[in-house]
Amino acid sequence: MNWPDLSMGGYGFYVWGSYIFALILIVGEVFSLKQRKKTLRQQQNEHQQQMSSSVSPSVLTGSANETTS
Amino acid sequence: MLRWIVWRDLTLAWRRRADILSTVFFFIIVVSLFPLGIGPETQLLRSIAPGVIWVAALLASMLSLNRLFANDLQDGTLEQLLLTPQPLFLVVLGKVLAHWIVSEIPLVLIAPLVGLQFDIPGETLLILVVSLLVGTPVLSLIGSVGAALTLGLRGGGVLISILVLPLYIPALIFGAGAVEASIIGASPAPHLYLLGAFAIVSLIFSPWATAAALRISLE
Amino acid sequence: MNLYKYASPANFYPLAGKMIPWFAIPSAILFAAGLYVGFFIAPTDFQQGDAYRIIFIHVPSAWMGMFLYVLMAIYAGIGWAFNARLASMMASAIAITGAMFTLLSLVTGALWGKPTWGTYWAWDARMTSTLILLFLYIGFISLQSAIDDTRRADRAGAVLALVGVINVPIIYFSVQWWNTLHQGASIRILGKPTIAAPMLAAMLIVLAACWFYSVAVVLIRLRCIILEREQNASRFAEVNA
Repeated sequence: MNWPDLSMGGYGFYVWGSYIFALILIVGEVFSLKQRKKTLRQQQNEHQQQMSSSVSPSVLTGSANETTS
Repeated sequence: MLRWIVWRDLTLAWRRRADILSTVFFFIIVVSLFPLGIGPETQLLRSIAPGVIWVAALLASMLSLNRLFANDLQDGTLEQLLLTPQPLFLVVLGKVLAHWIVSEIPLVLIAPLVGLQFDIPGETLLILVVSLLVGTPVLSLIGSVGAALTLGLRGGGVLISILVLPLYIPALIFGAGAVEASIIGASPAPHLYLLGAFAIVSLIFSPWATAAALRISLE
Repeated sequence: MNLYKYASPANFYPLAGKMIPWFAIPSAILFAAGLYVGFFIAPTDFQQGDAYRIIFIHVPSAWMGMFLYVLMAIYAGIGWAFNARLASMMASAIAITGAMFTLLSLVTGALWGKPTWGTYWAWDARMTSTLILLFLYIGFISLQSAIDDTRRADRAGAVLALVGVINVPIIYFSVQWWNTLHQGASIRILGKPTIAAPMLAAMLIVLAACWFYSVAVVLIRLRCIILEREQNASRFAEVNA
């Protein structure tokens, strides 16, 4: 194993820049997906709270048939 | 049926002549902007002319695509057309043909005048006209797919542009290429043949895609 | 075992959830392995010095951009032809990841171009075609986000993706033609660097890493889409009950 020249022969900006950009895209994508999932979960929780707290019988029979994920 | 559709669309377009003229004016204005932005040096203008004129034709076509289906959608005719026993493919072909006659042919006719602004030599002006004549059907055909897909959507003209302009690129390359070849003295024939081939392929596939898109948009 | 039950989004959702770690973890390992081979084992290039090491991320991302577009078109087509909602959702899930890889290949290509050819952007056939591919992705994503009705959005997207996929070879050919004609103005790539075995190995390992990453990320996004549509559907049902 030979340690590479970390300055990449002077081209460090280009090489490391590329990989850092790739990392930014990857982290960005995963992070934005986590956010999206979190928002959906929150919405679902609020929704289920609404359903269980409302007293109307017709609504309750309706919610008994809801599919849960 | 085909003839009837074409005749109907032509008649309706004639009643809205101003719309047609606005496409031509847009074309002329856009082309005239380039020398103003770049400078009047003849050599430079002659070298950018093929690209500029073709891009302006692309943009003018873009703007006119709305007219293809929007009016018929509004007055309910489009839904009726979908219900006829005639193949939708033919209806689309008729409308695209009418669109080409009304929106693209004027550009083809005006092109030589615009070409003179860029000091394009005489023989090249002819090639310019031919390239537009062969290429503009492609613009109408592929444009019709975009128009059908975006029927009734907000975002209008910009959305169609995003969808359709990348697909116009081969036509642009060969069309402008033919004119440029003529300017530098090479033969424009290969470009024109390829443009023609692209036009034929579009003619075969686009009406079918547009018909499918219309059904999807109107469900 | 009846596989067809997984065609339903509700059934596929938990399966997808179980699959994700099986792709995410190998992806990270493969990235690490590929970059190790690329940086520690592959020698410095004779012509380009160490700048060439960008290819270990540039080439795989370019390939991914192209593969994913075709895959997206196939799923969209299947969804349209067989009325399979899950397939259409898959196509929508792939789009953003495919666009990202395409963007990555353009940026890394530009960063590779500067030290190698002296300019960030060279209008060569491949780079230009990749740019147009990015436009096609953007078109697909824009169209789907402009349509509220999911059924219409799925099918319209399918038409666009299929028209796009047919056009990609045409566009590539025409750009190549355009490029060879304008040789004087453009900068030609003077052949690929001679691929030594460790270089090729590194590229292929990173490519595999990209594939595993894509599957993981697309499955995560697919699950979000399934949830979103489920929520919209149940809200719709309530309002109209």
